[in-house]
Amino acid sequence: MFNILWSLFYVLIFPGALFTVAVGLLLAGIDRKVVARMQHRIGPPIRQPLYDFLKLIGKETIIPKAANKLAFLGAPFVGFVSLALIMLFIPIFGFTAFSTSADMIVILYLITIPGVALIVGGSSSGSPYAGIGISREMVTMMAYELPFVLVLLTVAKKAGGVSLAFSMDAIANWQAANGSMLFQWAMIPAAIAMLLVIPAEVGTQPFDVAEAETEICEGPLVEYSGAPLGLFKLNSAMKMFVMSALFVSLFLGGIRTGFILIDAIIFVVLCIIVTVLCMSTIHAISARLKIEHLFKFYWTFVAGLAMASLILVWCGL
Amino acid sequence: MLKELLNKSSMKSPWIYHINSGSCNGCDIELVAVLTPRYDAERFGFKLTGTPRHADIVVVSGPITSQSKERLVRTLAQVPEPKCVVSLGSCPKSGNVFKGSYSVEAPLDNYVHVDVSVAGCTPKPEAIMEGLYKAAQILQEKREAMNK
Amino acid sequence: MIQHFPVAAVMLLFLAAFLVEIFGSKNAVVRNVIALEAATISAVLIFALVKPILIDGQVISYWMGNWAPVSGYAIGIGYEIDALNLFFALLVCATFWLSCVYSIAYMKNDRHLGHYYTLFLMLSGSVLGLVLTGDVFNMFVMIEIMTFASVALTAFRNDSDFALEAGFKYLVIGSIGSSMTLAGVALLYGQCHTLNMAQISAILAGRMTPTSIMALGLIIAGFGVKSYIVPFHTPAADAYTTAPTSISMVFSGMVNKAGVYGMIRMVYVVFRAMDKSSVQMLLVLFGAATMFIGVTMALTQHDFKRLLAFHSISQIGYVITAIGLGSALGLTGGLFHAMNHTLFKGLLFLTAGAVLYATGTTNLDKVGGLSKKMPVTAACFLVGAFSISGLPPFNGFASKWMVYQALYTRAMESGNFVYALVTVVALIVSVMTLASFIKVTQSAFFGQCPAELKDTKEVPFSMQLPMIIMAVLCVAAGIFYKAVDKFLLNPAVNASFNVTKYVDSMIGEGTAAAAGLENILVNPVEFSFWNPLVWLVLFVIVFAAIALVILYGNFARGKVLEPDTANDAKYATFFSGEQEEFSQVAGSDLFWGFKKDWKGYYKVLVGLHNGNVNDYSTMAIIAAAVIVLCMFIFMR
Repeated sequence: MFNILWSLFYVLIFPGALFTVAVGLLLAGIDRKVVARMQHRIGPPIRQPLYDFLKLIGKETIIPKAANKLAFLGAPFVGFVSLALIMLFIPIFGFTAFSTSADMIVILYLITIPGVALIVGGSSSGSPYAGIGISREMVTMMAYELPFVLVLLTVAKKAGGVSLAFSMDAIANWQAANGSMLFQWAMIPAAIAMLLVIPAEVGTQPFDVAEAETEICEGPLVEYSGAPLGLFKLNSAMKMFVMSALFVSLFLGGIRTGFILIDAIIFVVLCIIVTVLCMSTIHAISARLKIEHLFKFYWTFVAGLAMASLILVWCGL
Repeated sequence: MLKELLNKSSMKSPWIYHINSGSCNGCDIELVAVLTPRYDAERFGFKLTGTPRHADIVVVSGPITSQSKERLVRTLAQVPEPKCVVSLGSCPKSGNVFKGSYSVEAPLDNYVHVDVSVAGCTPKPEAIMEGLYKAAQILQEKREAMNK
Repeated sequence: MIQHFPVAAVMLLFLAAFLVEIFGSKNAVVRNVIALEAATISAVLIFALVKPILIDGQVISYWMGNWAPVSGYAIGIGYEIDALNLFFALLVCATFWLSCVYSIAYMKNDRHLGHYYTLFLMLSGSVLGLVLTGDVFNMFVMIEIMTFASVALTAFRNDSDFALEAGFKYLVIGSIGSSMTLAGVALLYGQCHTLNMAQISAILAGRMTPTSIMALGLIIAGFGVKSYIVPFHTPAADAYTTAPTSISMVFSGMVNKAGVYGMIRMVYVVFRAMDKSSVQMLLVLFGAATMFIGVTMALTQHDFKRLLAFHSISQIGYVITAIGLGSALGLTGGLFHAMNHTLFKGLLFLTAGAVLYATGTTNLDKVGGLSKKMPVTAACFLVGAFSISGLPPFNGFASKWMVYQALYTRAMESGNFVYALVTVVALIVSVMTLASFIKVTQSAFFGQCPAELKDTKEVPFSMQLPMIIMAVLCVAAGIFYKAVDKFLLNPAVNASFNVTKYVDSMIGEGTAAAAGLENILVNPVEFSFWNPLVWLVLFVIVFAAIALVILYGNFARGKVLEPDTANDAKYATFFSGEQEEFSQVAGSDLFWGFKKDWKGYYKVLVGLHNGNVNDYSTMAIIAAAVIVLCMFIFMR
């Protein structure tokens, strides 16, 4: 019974749903603020994403005639649940909610679910704009998947899990013993590749071809309004946190104060730095890519960086 | 308390959808100028969206040509409640210099309830800002009325 | 008593095949009753073996005509069922039973149904015989029956010339495969003077001669043809597409698996060659090529069934890669994926058949918006699509997880970079699989419905039932993966690593010990991906989310509006203000950026699939030669 209560606490509050939502909204707010400051604007307040979410909940939800109601309304919830689950598998330095279950492959697949939810939801709305949007979303997914996978394999090899290959715990322990991954020079290309994977996964500015609001009317989200739209926006904020958290635990682990609260605060600060570095900065200085350029960019340049790292690590460096 | 927060947030995050119904592009440029670093409407939470389904405030510019009338009305119907309609510039209000033309069907009031009119040809960005801010306040009132 | 069950199950199907032809060619009721009865009874007979074999760990051996071995040499045909056989036999039974149920409604508008059921039962019987037999030549005979029944069923709807062409391709390539198997079996007989698998295993233990290496190469190539690994996959796409869908399901669910079974039985048990790193590397590379080429070809297809056909090839690539690793985890993953492939690919073929039945076409550019007309089919399709793409918590995830773990563990242990690259390929193939199913989702089930499909109706219940059963099994196998591993996979894996019991119960106690065969016990896989607690918690989140929504509904009156009047502009799809019109983003329109960047690759690949049987045969022969050569060069 006690066990169940603890796991409920893990799932609903920390580090599950509530924590992810809170930090996700915080990161999204900081992102908007930083981009504004970089463009010499004042920018919205940091709590702006929360206002957006609350406002959307108070609005009407229109289900278009061509839409399949169940898929249309269900998709954002599926994305939300899987995003809340991912945080249980990412170690916050020494702490994982379910210690036996930390595993990269699970994370990799759970991270694709919000994307799939967006695609299914958009597709079910019956709009041709959404059709084009999901096509682009899927191509983006294929594009970043290769470097993402290479980065994960590189880190797994470096940490050298004992019995099963892809253990996040092994990576956390390795970093606790040997210092952060980022300070291994062979890992630097992989870290850069991962930093470039994050904006595509989250779908921020240069890589937001799928939701290009000026050309295909927000792509998959075109027919969404009200609460489901709010959940999708929340999902993308949560994704920001989850992806930067993944970066932190893969490359910047190894800080263990022993107090979970302090650990969590350091973790969030590191996440903010990663967000500013790889999302806000790139967002502020670049314009949207074309989809075929995006694909080529990820399969040549970014995958090349990750591959270089993998080969270096494989050579024992 | 949550109710209050919801009402408040509807004013804090008004998303704009812009419809050009035959405008000369003057007002459109000024609307974009509102979002630039100099005026920065985003600090009030304003954001330009790409589809009427996401919009709270619909900004209409241009004298409503016969071609665009039907499309305008249809798009306005697709915006979820609560919503505000802002007419931008003199054209949608009166027809401006195009008044009396066989192909112009201004004013906008004939087809939809206009909440805020920003006058001028073209209106200054400051005026547009004020108009949009008023629209946001009206939005909150509508939101509160919806709850009753 | 129980040792008669397997042979009775096989015989019953063959007997029913003739009975259908004699009594059922005119009368539909008689025909359906005979076919369904035979399929049901035979499935029940096989399922009755679960307790003694899988749970108690017995091995059942049966000599036809009671021709028991004479002075240690097997002279008769023997059936021998251990956990590995039974695992595949269960898959086979489940497949043909569901297919039989589905056929009754699905095929009722076709002509010559007497022939259809005859061939169907022949095919089922031969595959069941193939997986149950303990005799290599009997296995070859069953392969032949299977091949020719398949050819005839491929060309069953022979009013289209495409079906005849597919049948011809299948005939040629299939015969090449059978001949290679026959040559391998002949060499084996020459070497060992016996055809009994258990005895060959005892004789060959640790004593591989050039003759047996040649035989191994030929047999791997022969079963490669039957399981359609690249480059033997060429007839598969056409065959799966043109055969009636109930048969396509049988092809991917059991004919394919028969090839996989043969591969495992021969390489693991009879030759015991899996400890050789050269054999491992060969199978892994062929598997990797199979999954990659299969999936990339599937991405460009715009026919529903053809797309599924290429995915069948691709998923078999996973299975071959996994069993090629030769590790316990790899084999468990491979068997699990084989089982899951039977479930989700069967399900997907059935949904394709339902679409064909309801709309008359499987062309993805001509259908759309079917989810509102056929909700059950669409839901089942989504379950199948998510399973095959390996999304948690569906079954594809559990098996793919094992395959990746096995691959990368091997890569780290051996320090061989090739295995790391294969891991990358496997992971990328998974996302490409997802992409091509997103394509089907968008273009067939979601999007907008063309005017000519306005009157489409959901398929009859007897067609829905197999789909629902398979969808439930897909979810169940994904959630209760531990039980599946414990009761199905682990016994089968143990059976393929430990041949002593197999040999002893067939030939006589002590044979294995005399031949120097040893037992290696394999423990159940340690799943570390999540624990059952997470499940509870997942449901809690879902409920919490729903509760949250209800709360929102009360607080905020964020109304969910549904279209009430037909012509209200509010509920029309947004077309930038234009009047709503039919505009569907169809299958061929998707994935623009990807297609552009891969143009060169596709030019080569599509050039290779040119439909010319001469070229296909050349490819098959070259590949077989390469396999045999590799065996000779690297085996020592």
